[in-house]
Amino acid sequence: MDVRLPPGKFDNRDDAGGPVAGAADNRMRLTLLGGFLGSGKTTWLRHHLHHGLFADAFVVVNEAAETSVDDALLSQSAELAVVSGGCACCEARDELVALLRSICDKRVSAESARPDRIVIETSGLADPAPIVAAIRSDPVLAHHIVISGIVVAVDAVYGLDQLRQEPLSRRQMELADLLVVTKLDEADEAALTRLLATLKAINPGAAISGAVKGSDVALPDHSGAEPEELDALGEAAGGLPIRALKLDIGEDIDWTAFSVWLSALIHARGDDILRVKGVVTAPSGRLLLQSVRKIVQSPEILPADAAGDDNSLVFIGRGFRAEQLDRSLRHFAGLRG
Amino acid sequence: MCSACGFPAAPGHWTEAGATTPHDRLRARFRRAQVLRSVLPAYGLTAHDGADVPGIQLGTLSGANAIVRDLEEVWREAERLTGQAIDPLDPRFIGDAD
Repeated sequence: MDVRLPPGKFDNRDDAGGPVAGAADNRMRLTLLGGFLGSGKTTWLRHHLHHGLFADAFVVVNEAAETSVDDALLSQSAELAVVSGGCACCEARDELVALLRSICDKRVSAESARPDRIVIETSGLADPAPIVAAIRSDPVLAHHIVISGIVVAVDAVYGLDQLRQEPLSRRQMELADLLVVTKLDEADEAALTRLLATLKAINPGAAISGAVKGSDVALPDHSGAEPEELDALGEAAGGLPIRALKLDIGEDIDWTAFSVWLSALIHARGDDILRVKGVVTAPSGRLLLQSVRKIVQSPEILPADAAGDDNSLVFIGRGFRAEQLDRSLRHFAGLRG
Repeated sequence: MCSACGFPAAPGHWTEAGATTPHDRLRARFRRAQVLRSVLPAYGLTAHDGADVPGIQLGTLSGANAIVRDLEEVWREAERLTGQAIDPLDPRFIGDAD
């Protein structure tokens, strides 16, 4: 198995399904698996349960419909629970939080197996951001669970249409840490390279991998392809387009000034800043920082010797430019002019 | 819960992840107060964190004040006290009008 995972995000995974090695703390790792309706989430997950990437994981399946189908397909998992009859991002959110709390309770009791990893397969209509927010804001779950990544399945055939027409589908792709382009064998090459270039443009921080029936397949070269210019959709229609940009923090800005600035920015502009991610060095070490809208994960300390693009953050959102962020940050750090 | 300050135990705010030793924590706390003192006056607010009271003290020029425990609460309370969010992209911080 060779799944290309985003650098830093899944570094603690153990393909053999053993305990999470080298983790900064002993909280459970939670992977959120999303993607639009019919994008191939369950197929991808089933393959990786079978091949051991998530072999030890507690799998939670969320179905918007009352009748659940996916649980039958995922019988390979160590443990499985179903949240049906509503999206985990809205109607079924309380049910999901209650279920996750019961998993946490199980983990502290000595009587049952203790899962180290949870995978939530969301319904195709779920927005990952409110689910992350619900987990981060629950005092019990925040102590027991750290969200290690958002994986989003993208249909190679319909992905571009969904990006053009479905605000929800676009939001899912913008928030991903890993985009898995599924059904690669069914798409024609020109459309596929355009989709890949567009994905790279809307979410430059995400890793992209390809899959056919869940197995990893190499992506075609898309370096020369032009990304599609996407119009604003939904709430953003008539507003500003979403852009991704990189901010280099530089050596002269300390973590404290940076964190004061970023916390203020996220408070004031959290609805427009969809995602921030990157590695920042602090006195405590190299911190992996990531936010989804107004929710910032507790940063994880990464190994000091791992190579990486430190002090460079990706911002995805609307209504700001890189030089404005840079000037504002330098003002907060007392480096005006 | 801390019996001195009454704040219930909560997972540390993400901004506090930069310091793990007591020395670094104290230094980060004073640096945080220094940064707040430099930016909040633009909105008519004062900030004080002198280690004498647990938490950060915010005040307005008219005497209203609040004690908060972390930066998330600083920005929430500052918005309540001034009626507007402290926006780092405001022209008063970036020096342009767009």
